[in-house]
Amino acid sequence: MNTVTTNPVLRLSNVAKTFVTPNGSVRALDPVSLDIRQGEFISIIGPSGCGKSTLMNIVGGLLDDYDGEVQVDGVPVRGCHKEIGMVFQEESTFPWRTAIDNVAFPMEATGVPREERLSRAKDLLRLVGLDGFEQRFPSELSGGMRQRIAIARTLAFKPRILLMDEPFAALDEQTRLLLGDKVLQIQQELNQTTMLITHNIAEAVQLSDRVLIMTFRPGRIKQVIDIELPRPRSSKLMGGEKFGHYVAAIWEDLREEATRGLLEMEGARSGS
Amino acid sequence: MAAVEQIGAARPRRKPQFWTVNKLRVVGIVVLVGLWEAAGASGLFFQGVLPSSFLIVKALLSMMVTLDFWNHVGVTATEVLVAFVLGGSTGIAAGLLLGANRYAGDVFEPFIHYLAPTPKIVFLPILLVLFGVGMGSKIALGTVSAFFPMALSVMAGVRQVSPVLLRVGKTFNLTTAQTVRMIYLPALVPPLATGLRIALGISIVGCLLAEYKLAKAGLGYLAGRYYEAFTIAPMLAVLAFIFITAAFGNVLIERLVRLPGPMDRRA
Repeated sequence: MNTVTTNPVLRLSNVAKTFVTPNGSVRALDPVSLDIRQGEFISIIGPSGCGKSTLMNIVGGLLDDYDGEVQVDGVPVRGCHKEIGMVFQEESTFPWRTAIDNVAFPMEATGVPREERLSRAKDLLRLVGLDGFEQRFPSELSGGMRQRIAIARTLAFKPRILLMDEPFAALDEQTRLLLGDKVLQIQQELNQTTMLITHNIAEAVQLSDRVLIMTFRPGRIKQVIDIELPRPRSSKLMGGEKFGHYVAAIWEDLREEATRGLLEMEGARSGS
Repeated sequence: MAAVEQIGAARPRRKPQFWTVNKLRVVGIVVLVGLWEAAGASGLFFQGVLPSSFLIVKALLSMMVTLDFWNHVGVTATEVLVAFVLGGSTGIAAGLLLGANRYAGDVFEPFIHYLAPTPKIVFLPILLVLFGVGMGSKIALGTVSAFFPMALSVMAGVRQVSPVLLRVGKTFNLTTAQTVRMIYLPALVPPLATGLRIALGISIVGCLLAEYKLAKAGLGYLAGRYYEAFTIAPMLAVLAFIFITAAFGNVLIERLVRLPGPMDRRA
C-alpha cells in the first residue's frame, strides 16, 4: 500500500551532533543518513542515551547546531518549520484551553478563520476518538486522552512529517496498545509520514514499516529491519508468529546495546 | 475502534456538597461572634475593650449617615486605588522583565527577594519628607508595598511556564508576540490573580499604616482618633468597614481575573 516514489519526503545526510560541556565534548550522534518515503512509518529504537531524542530534536528543528543536512522534499531545512510537527513525551496540552481549543491552537496562530478552525478541530478530535469531549479541559481527561489531544493538535498543523518522541511512554501497557491502534488508523486515513522514537519493541513492530535500531552512545544506526506485516494492522497482530519473530530479531540486536548502556550508566554512577 | 473510546474515561466533574459546606461556614461565623460576645460579657477584660457586636453595628450605622465618614472613605479609597494601580502595574512589568530575562533576573532578583519581606513602614519617614503629610506619602507607601508581592508572583509565574509548552509553541512557529499572548499570558493568569490579591491587601495596609502614623484624613486616621479617645465601638466599626470592603475587593479581583480564559475565546 506504500506508494514508492523516487524522492524521499525526509532525507538525513550525515547528521551528527557533538555536545560541548565544561568537561570536554560528548559525541551524542555519529553521522546518520536516512531516507523516508511519503506515507512511511518508521520507528527509531535504542537504549537510553543512544541519542534518539537528539536526532528527533534535530529533525524537529529544536536543535540548530549540528553537522550534516536535513532535507524535506529535497530542500535543506534549518530550525522549526511548518513541514514537521512534533508530539512530545511530556504533558503538553494547554491546561487553560478546552480540548477543541487545544486542537485549534496552531490554526489560530496561522490565522485560520474561527469557523473553519473549529470545524477542522472537531474533525480531528473525531479522528483520534474524542468526539463528545470537545468542551472538556485537559484536567478533566485521562493521560491517554490528553496525549491524543496533543496528537490531534499537531495534525492540525498539517505537517508533511509527524515526529513523535515516546508519546505513550507515560501510559500503561494496555492503553498504549489501544492508542497504537488509533495511530495506525490515523496513519492509514491520512497517509501520514511518521517518525516515532520509542523504547518499546512491540510498539515499534506493531506500527512501523521499518524499525531502525540505534547503538549506545555515540548513537549510530546499527540495523534496519523491514516489518513486512500486512496492513491494515491492529494490536491483534501481537499473537502472530511473524510478530514474535520480529520482536525477537530486534531484541537480538538491541540487547547488546542495552547491556552496554546499562553497564556504562551504572559504572558512571558508582564512579562518581 | 469501540474499545478505544473507552480507554481512560473522562473524570466526572466534582459536585461540591453545597449545603454542608455553606452550613459549616455559617456555623463558623456564628461561633466566632458567640465567642466574642461571651468574652466581652465575661468580665475578664477591661470594661469596654470588647464591646458587644450590637454596639459596633450601631456605631457603624450612625457613622455611615454622616458626610464626614464618607470623606474619610473617599480619601483612603483614592490612596489605595492609586497605590494599587501604580504598584501593581510596575510590579507586573518588573516581574515580566525579571522572569523572562535571565540576565536582568540575576542582577536584580536578590534585591526584590530580600526587600519583599521587610516592613515597608520603615520607608515612611523618607516618604513623608519627600511627599508631605497629605495623600502623597500614603500613596507612596501603598505603592512600594504593592510592588513587591506583585513582582515576585509574576516573576515566579513566568519562570514556571512549562518548557514543553514553549517547545510546542516553537514547533508551531509562533512569533514572539504570539508566544506572549497565546502561552505566557494565559499561563500567568493564576499567579497574576494571586499577586493582585496580595498587592491589594498590602497596599491597603500600607495606606492605613501611613494614615495612622501621620495624616489629616482617611480611615486609618479616623480609627487612630477613636483609639486615642478610647471610643472602642466606633473604632471597631471603622475596622470592620475596612475589613469587609477589602474582602469584597478580593472577591471582585478573583471574579475579574478568573473569567475563563478571556484571551482564548477571542475570535
